[in-house]
Amino acid sequence: MALRYAFFPGCVIPAKYPHFESATRAIAKVLDMELVDLPFSCCPPTSNMKLVHYDSWLALAARNLCVAEEQELDILTTCTGCVSTLKEANYIMRQKPNRRRKINRILEKAGRHYEGTIEVFHLLDVLYDHIGLEAIEEKCIYDLNMKVASHYGCHLFRPSYIMYPEFLSPSHSYVPTSIDEITEVLGGEPVKYMRRFLCCGYPLGANVDEDASYEILREKLYYIKAAHAELIAVACASCFEQFELGQVMIKKKYKETYKLPTLYISQLIGLAMGIDNETLGLKEHIHKIKKLLPRLQERTGRMRATL
Amino acid sequence: MTVQKVWSLFDRSQLYECYECSKCSGSCPVTLAGDFLGPRKILLKCLQHGSGRVIRDPLLWYCTTCQVCQDRCPQEINIPELLTGLRNKAAKIGNIPERVKFTVEKIAKTGRSVLGFKVERERKRYNLPPVVEISKEEISKILAETGFFKDLKIDH
Ligand code: SF4
Ligand code: SF4
Repeated sequence: MALRYAFFPGCVIPAKYPHFESATRAIAKVLDMELVDLPFSCCPPTSNMKLVHYDSWLALAARNLCVAEEQELDILTTCTGCVSTLKEANYIMRQKPNRRRKINRILEKAGRHYEGTIEVFHLLDVLYDHIGLEAIEEKCIYDLNMKVASHYGCHLFRPSYIMYPEFLSPSHSYVPTSIDEITEVLGGEPVKYMRRFLCCGYPLGANVDEDASYEILREKLYYIKAAHAELIAVACASCFEQFELGQVMIKKKYKETYKLPTLYISQLIGLAMGIDNETLGLKEHIHKIKKLLPRLQERTGRMRATL
Repeated sequence: MTVQKVWSLFDRSQLYECYECSKCSGSCPVTLAGDFLGPRKILLKCLQHGSGRVIRDPLLWYCTTCQVCQDRCPQEINIPELLTGLRNKAAKIGNIPERVKFTVEKIAKTGRSVLGFKVERERKRYNLPPVVEISKEEISKILAETGFFKDLKIDH
């Protein structure tokens, strides 16, 4: 039976990067996942609404949880910002009775009530834990043959006691491995680089100071290049924007050229599955992946998935 | 309902647990890039002077919310919660960057953080269904209850 999820694409991907959504829907189809569209609002972000007005942040997030709970569906998000807000709100609504009562009193004015019966996942968790690496590999008709640097996005895994409580290290920390492991089954080579878990800097640029945010990015890019990566894989639209535009700005300001294509994780998987470049929207990118495409190597005896 | 107090979002007694080891500030990405005080100094100021002075500092908003400080702190002090509490208070007294205010106001009034005239046309090119409509009235109703418009002095 198909896995079913309440699909939470967020605000940024549907409006600015529809090709990430189209790539996600395409791989979901190949992997026999059903994505249900529901009237979700903005998550809203931990990097603005939560900082400005905590109760409003929690109430709007809890409203989104209600929308999925009413359909008895777990949520699948495609952005690390969304997953962080919704997972944290879910944690608070379950673990903190005082806040739950307060927020439910507010939601009741809008005819809603959150019981706390659903779970929230990022696409990466669904791919890794629910679908499984083997099932993904089965659908790949190409080996990527490219060196891939992963950037997970801070909000995917911090704070780890909320995001991944079941996997904490003895020092109560956690770092993810899913993008690297997925890259491996796609026939790509995950590249380890220094400062892998450093922030990309995006919220700093969006909120107050782009130049300062690119300073942070520059440090990351330096190590990515030093490790000879050929492309960057991300799981968040904001991180993508930072890498994509940041490279342009860094070139202007410091005359440093990186030209590293950045792909959203669904695009990378789509490439290995043989999904066409139009559906994946590859030509939308500033730093083109075109010159790497001849590297794709057909796996013998594999059939192209039909969409 | 009034806006959260700093110490209702962050348990003040945690301030006394700090070793002053500066592992947090050493890990903080923003200390790479600007004059941001960094988590340790902010915490220390709160300990010495209370939150009153700290919430007037516009550089508070430089924190990216990456949460690596809390992750690395040997005392497991929840610094991101401290910084959230401080900024909630800062926003109330008007220390809020224009762009942040613009974005939260947009979310409050439309239910979305990104809007565009060409969105549906672009989506059609990728055979995507239209973005699902939401009730703006419901969003405003909820935010009127939380005190959003009143606390931030935004017309409603
Ligand atoms: S890491 Fe923790 S204990 Fe060390 S200075 Fe920072 S807050 Fe204090
Ligand atoms: S959460 Fe803020 S203060 Fe803490 S390390 Fe990240 S940027 Fe620095």
